[in-house]
Amino acid sequence: MLGPEGPHVTVEGFDGPLDLLLELVEEKKLDILTVKLGDLADAYLARVRALDALPADEVSAFLALASRLVLLKARSLLPSLLPLAEMDEGESEEELRARLLEYAVVRERATALGDRLRSGERGFHREGGTPELPPRGGEVLALAAAWTKVLALASRPREEGMVAPGERYSVEERTAEIEAIIAAREQVTFTELLSTDPTLGWAVVTFIALLDLYRRGVIDLEQIELFADILIRRKQTA
Amino acid sequence: MRSSLANAVESVLFVAEKPVSRAELARVVGATPKHVDNALAELATSYQGTALRLAHDGDDWQLVTAPEHAVHVAAYLGADRLRVSPASLETLAIVAYRQPVTRAEVEAIRGVNCDQTIYTLMQRRLIEERGRREAPGRPILYGTTWEFLECFGLSSLDELPRALTPEGAIPGVGEPVGDRRA
Repeated sequence: MLGPEGPHVTVEGFDGPLDLLLELVEEKKLDILTVKLGDLADAYLARVRALDALPADEVSAFLALASRLVLLKARSLLPSLLPLAEMDEGESEEELRARLLEYAVVRERATALGDRLRSGERGFHREGGTPELPPRGGEVLALAAAWTKVLALASRPREEGMVAPGERYSVEERTAEIEAIIAAREQVTFTELLSTDPTLGWAVVTFIALLDLYRRGVIDLEQIELFADILIRRKQTA
Repeated sequence: MRSSLANAVESVLFVAEKPVSRAELARVVGATPKHVDNALAELATSYQGTALRLAHDGDDWQLVTAPEHAVHVAAYLGADRLRVSPASLETLAIVAYRQPVTRAEVEAIRGVNCDQTIYTLMQRRLIEERGRREAPGRPILYGTTWEFLECFGLSSLDELPRALTPEGAIPGVGEPVGDRRA
């Protein structure tokens, strides 16, 4: 995935191979419905040649379309190539034209949207009109229980203060421990593995160790319902 | 004179800061959804030539200011004008007119990778996830948001600018999008 600063490349104002092809059609004042797309191969290639400063994957998209155009041109020049067309799995001139037309519609609409945006004529809704009320039907006891939980969490000592760096667990160690437990007991619950007062780091290491054991086919995992305790079982070897 | 039901609906929409669904409106004003529809239509007509518009996204309704007065409201709110790059506008146009769509469908039409533009549009809350398509890989579906309607001064998706080339006018255009990349 690209981050917000990910590269976005436009080539001399062209945003992708279809955009460049459409631009050529319009520049030459050709009818998009009748133009022989193969005839544009030379002009297209000339533009693509100027693109060497681009990242490889960007250029490859342009080159793929260029090769398609060259093939279309070759076919029109050498009708004897036609039988080969049946073996060719690429898109035909009609398919490419349909794509180009579809893209032309999109670009037209994008321009219309852009004009709208530039005009600045937009709507505004009312902000801050409705006071936020607690959801209806809440129970006093549930609220009290939730509050008690929050207090318990708040009174728990900070992890930083509790675990000296030397005592930190590695996933490998924890994996070996769980493997030993499983070897002795056949099954154990996730809560048991966490023990009574787990720190965040401890829980994470335990969880990753379990994932690793599962990946290696050492254990089976089962959870009867949502939020139920996870059951860890020794894998039955067939 | 507007009906008292239309006035009731208006008063609810006036205080609501979030869009209100048709069902919710029916519940709070004590009318059937059908009657609420009529009241909403009545309201929309009565706003012609005023500073308010009745906007809707599907079944959700909201009062917004008329686009003509955006400059004044923006001055009051200190709102910045939204800027969207041409590439993002293309992606946005595809999502707006064909929603819900997957990223692969957008890319098939534009012929370029659209990770970046979809990311940008999501960041600006112009598009949002709309569940997943029940197809291999269960790809994420995207659709436009309330912010989109507002930023473009649209009362609903029906008001999307109709471009010169209507969909379906040319054979092969506007038909269901497959993965047609060569």
